[in-house]
Amino acid sequence: MFSAQNLIAVGIAALLTAGLYAVMSYGLAIIYGVMKVINLSHAGFLMLGAFMTLVYFQQWHLDPILGAFVNLPVFFGVGWVVHRVLVRRVVRALPIASLLLLFGVWLVLQNLALAIWGGEDQSIITAYTYKALAVFGFRIPVTRLIVFVVALGVLSILHFALGHTYLGKALRATVQDPTAALLVGIDTERISSWAFGLGTAFAAFAGSLLTLLFSFNPDFGGAFQLKSFTIIVLGGLENLPGVAVGAAILAFAESYAVLFMRASLQNVIAYALLVVALIVMPGGVGQLLGNRS
Amino acid sequence: MLVLVPALFLSLVTTGQPAVSEIKIGAVLPLTGPFVASGTYFRQGYGMAVDEVNQAGGLDVGGAKYRIALTILDDGSDATRSRSLVEKLVTDQHVNFLLGGYDTSLVEAQEVVPDQYKIPYVEGGGAASEIFKRGYKYVFGTLASIYNMGKFTVEFITAQQAAGKLPKPLTIALVWENTDHGKDYETALVEEAQKHPDLFKVVLNQPFQLNGSDFSPLLQQVKAANAQAFLSDAHLPDYITMHRQYLQLGLYHQFVSYGGRGPDQKGRQALGPGADYLVAAVWWTPALKDPASQLFTDKYTKQYHQVPDWFQAVSYDTARVLFQAIREAHSLGGPAVRDALSKTVMHNSLLPGGTIRFTADGQIVAPYVMVQNTPGNTVRIIWPQKLPEARDPILPLPHVQ
Repeated sequence: MFSAQNLIAVGIAALLTAGLYAVMSYGLAIIYGVMKVINLSHAGFLMLGAFMTLVYFQQWHLDPILGAFVNLPVFFGVGWVVHRVLVRRVVRALPIASLLLLFGVWLVLQNLALAIWGGEDQSIITAYTYKALAVFGFRIPVTRLIVFVVALGVLSILHFALGHTYLGKALRATVQDPTAALLVGIDTERISSWAFGLGTAFAAFAGSLLTLLFSFNPDFGGAFQLKSFTIIVLGGLENLPGVAVGAAILAFAESYAVLFMRASLQNVIAYALLVVALIVMPGGVGQLLGNRS
Repeated sequence: MLVLVPALFLSLVTTGQPAVSEIKIGAVLPLTGPFVASGTYFRQGYGMAVDEVNQAGGLDVGGAKYRIALTILDDGSDATRSRSLVEKLVTDQHVNFLLGGYDTSLVEAQEVVPDQYKIPYVEGGGAASEIFKRGYKYVFGTLASIYNMGKFTVEFITAQQAAGKLPKPLTIALVWENTDHGKDYETALVEEAQKHPDLFKVVLNQPFQLNGSDFSPLLQQVKAANAQAFLSDAHLPDYITMHRQYLQLGLYHQFVSYGGRGPDQKGRQALGPGADYLVAAVWWTPALKDPASQLFTDKYTKQYHQVPDWFQAVSYDTARVLFQAIREAHSLGGPAVRDALSKTVMHNSLLPGGTIRFTADGQIVAPYVMVQNTPGNTVRIIWPQKLPEARDPILPLPHVQ
């Protein structure tokens, strides 16, 4: 159980999972960072992203990876519209209003999926679903590797965009201080629409990648959303790079914890980390590292 | 008086009491949520049994014919909602009898209601022996227990060891869902391993959370355990997720069984050739060649354009045994039908052995059938060998490419 080989194998699996967790959580982080809104519809768009990937696969034989990239602009548009039509009307009200609104959106999306696709589990099997690569004696499932590489690539592009484009800088400025951003001429409402669109696009993108690993149904997404909450709290609620750190912490904690405790308690790890993070370091790892430096 | 009689008549109609020519039967099933596939199959099985009776003119009870009116509510695979909906069926819809839900956790939630209202409840969706240890008098089950499934599996393995197809002792990596269902399976396996240490050695024994999304860390433990056999007790969604990840991690064992999962059509669609050669202990299989099973399979296939699994067959017979008991009781009274159920013997059952009878605690006495998936979405019966349709198992399992 604790042999070097097994520990390394678990570490590799954790690393691959961290990539998935990061891309799953970025959408939530962007929306909270810019708008200070907890997007409970994140799970719904994750689920819908998975189902749309299924549609592309069944209708046009589009690989789920390509389907993920198709979902990016499609769901950006959807998120933009949701923000303009619904969210911006409640964003200045009490936080409970936006929470309930987005929870309602989640329920609507679930029922829409139920009505269209039914409640049964769906799966996508590709030519590489069961393939694996042998790397230095360790077997790495191709699907996990692809998800990790794609996630890393997209997050790198996002990171570059956040640092080197007007939109990215405006987004970061709004995260840091919305009032100051307004004062320097940034249209924060338009930035919020962009952020919501981007967050929704990333949720759907993650949903597409998840179809390579899991079967899914209209209830899909809830468990991942809870993990995403933990990740963004761990990383720091307004710390976008911190999301990657939070994802890594959760992935490694979950993977190694099973060596010491019952696998049935695996989900408890996420909840326990969430509680600990909120109490001990509410600013997340990002703030902790910032304080130390 | 002239006003009173119509008023009395009106009040009788509006109290919601069932019409004299109708028997109201209620069921709460998971038609959404994680157990939706199985819940849907149960709805089909109940529906077929009810349609059969109604198309034949109704159920004969003491010389009068009664139409069966079946009401099914959706609990969304949630135990709390399941129990309250069963209560709603009794108090609002005034059902005469209840058919059970699917999955041990939901049945355990539902089973508290029947005794309170003295309404017989026959279920085919919960197999944990814990269901029948609670002293309920109005609860009957047509699903042989998971504990017995574990024992049956061990019996099969022992026979294969004697035939030289599996090693002695066989090292086993055992994982089980953290419910009464899984605990039953684990108890049976561990008991046998303790009784026969020369035949079995459990090298890993781990529970996992029901409806999990990622079993990779658990499967890494399975890999590290280096066992010869992998046994898991899992429900359909977890079986699909776990076995997909098992294959992706490139795991191999000489014998792999997920309890009663394997030949399920949903599983075979989701896993493709990855599900080939899995061994399962099932309550029924369309591979059974007896006339009753073949008739049911043909009828179901014609109606639903797919091959039935055990869910549909067991739910169909669950409804039929309730109907038989109502007939034998010559009454629609709950206590009378309850007594009839406790004594009834249904001889034309689809289930292996062809008979349904209940023990004093309400649980069925019935054997299992061991099956093995074969390529091309086919299944072969491999145990008991005395069945004419039984074939030799393919063991040790081939490496699936």
